[in-house]
Amino acid sequence: MNLPSNLAKSCLLASVIFWIIIGSESVDTTAFLFVFLSMIPIVLVVSFTIIITICPFFWVSRSGAFNHQTVFKTYFPYYAIVAFGICTFGIIVSDFDIYMIAFFTSAFITTSQCWIWFAKEK
Amino acid sequence: MKQTITIIAAFAFSILFYEKNLGLNLSIFSVITIAFLIFYNPKKFKDKTVILHTLAYILTAGLVFMQHSYLSMIANCVVFFTLVGAVSEPKTSIYVNWLNGLYTAVAGFFHRKFEVDNTSNIDQPKTKIDILHWAKLIGIPSVFIAVFILLYKNGNPLFSDLVSKIDFSFINVQWVLFSVLGYYLFHNISKPIQVEPATTTDVKTTNELFQSEHFSEEKLKKEKQLGTTLIGLLNLLIVLFIITDITYLMSNDAVRASVLSSQVHSGINTLIASIIIAIVIILYFFRGNLNFYTENKTLKHLTYLWIFLNATLIVLIAIKNQNYITSFGLTYKRIGVHVYILLALIGLITTFVKVLDIKNLVFLFRRNTQIAFVALILLSTVNWDCLITKYNLNTAKEFDIDYLIRLSDRNAALLYEKKDDILISTANKNRIEMKYSAYQNDLKQSTWQEWSYENFSLNNELTISK
Repeated sequence: MNLPSNLAKSCLLASVIFWIIIGSESVDTTAFLFVFLSMIPIVLVVSFTIIITICPFFWVSRSGAFNHQTVFKTYFPYYAIVAFGICTFGIIVSDFDIYMIAFFTSAFITTSQCWIWFAKEK
Repeated sequence: MKQTITIIAAFAFSILFYEKNLGLNLSIFSVITIAFLIFYNPKKFKDKTVILHTLAYILTAGLVFMQHSYLSMIANCVVFFTLVGAVSEPKTSIYVNWLNGLYTAVAGFFHRKFEVDNTSNIDQPKTKIDILHWAKLIGIPSVFIAVFILLYKNGNPLFSDLVSKIDFSFINVQWVLFSVLGYYLFHNISKPIQVEPATTTDVKTTNELFQSEHFSEEKLKKEKQLGTTLIGLLNLLIVLFIITDITYLMSNDAVRASVLSSQVHSGINTLIASIIIAIVIILYFFRGNLNFYTENKTLKHLTYLWIFLNATLIVLIAIKNQNYITSFGLTYKRIGVHVYILLALIGLITTFVKVLDIKNLVFLFRRNTQIAFVALILLSTVNWDCLITKYNLNTAKEFDIDYLIRLSDRNAALLYEKKDDILISTANKNRIEMKYSAYQNDLKQSTWQEWSYENFSLNNELTISK
């Protein structure tokens, strides 16, 4: 598993989605500092989420006869449904706050895309 | 052509839902979804199950407009997922339809992306447009140009003036992003997908129970003895309980409110739990080879008797709940108890059929989820707020006006109409008037996307009053 590469791509994807959604409300030059600073929590959150919630599926399957494609087909549907449920719940509970929308949308898209990156690995 | 239609549907999605409450837009969305699914999957719409689900979806779309209740909206969403799931594989159970429908709507894009990537590794050279490449080609330079423009703005006042003259305020970025969401949804449902191996397993699983190879008569005899003793004793106990319950019901005509309330709340929960445990016990004994054991007749007859007695218990609970309603009026919780009771009764009937016709557990899940699905649709056909208000004001011996005022706006017109005919304080009359005027304002201010049948009835009322 090429974890560092996937984590790097995921962090980049998450920050792009997050700031596109935030930027849809207002763009401010002073916000650039925050964009760069936000990379720290984004890297932490993305890495933590992927290592805790996605990697175990692939690690556990190493010992069995499952290849990465089978792991994706077997577990991703349930993961996606649960992740979508949690993200939707978070957005509704926050009363559609733009930061929460940005956070949960980027979380859902990034984790789903990350599954594909892991599954595509030979 | 297909891409164009998805893009048009995505824009329609934004027009219908962007910064709007639910109403007519959900009904129109349902119609668009059906047309979209037929366009992409015409062959699937020859299947009876799919046609039936389509009709149910149209019905719930109509109910959203007519009733405008949360329940009708929930029913509409559930039927949406069921229909999408049925299009993906019509022969599966309803709960697998939900799974497939939900997965398709939520992550169909990613699933297809994975499959395309997988096949393209083995397949012929690519002939389609490389979307990722184009996205990078447009996205990355755009992001960096935007970053540098904003940086240079601070470095040069002339450049800053020039940039500030560029006005893109006519573009609503959030509206565009919302359209992207619509595109994502329609792209997902264009070709519904299946969750494997759940779908294949479900298609292969029949409702019949088969005798297993390890058929030990001695073991079955012991199990039958245990079952007969247990269910026999439980029958005696339930008979005793029913007799005492009927005696209590007949001897207590006028029970104090607090007593009846605690009886209903604690008693009903316990009794419903006992019925569920009863179903579980029956399912345990009739899970396998005992169904095919020749000397199981006594156990079967005792089970039928127990099911019948449990059904009697359900009727008694229904009577208690109805007594409570007659005395203190209808509420959502009390209606909920009736619905819960009805579903428990249906659960008992399907358990009876399972034992009688030697069916497996899957049969029970399939039938019960189907019934729950139909029940949801049927329940959404009723304007419960109006029904509760009407019943409480006209039939119930007592009613809680505060509860009625706190219900949704769908009873505002009825309360306003009845406010002078009932004995309530002036403060409550004022609250009703305020509720009615707020309701009228909401209806007047609603955009066409948020309209419901109430808008038209209000217009008619206003025309008549003029």
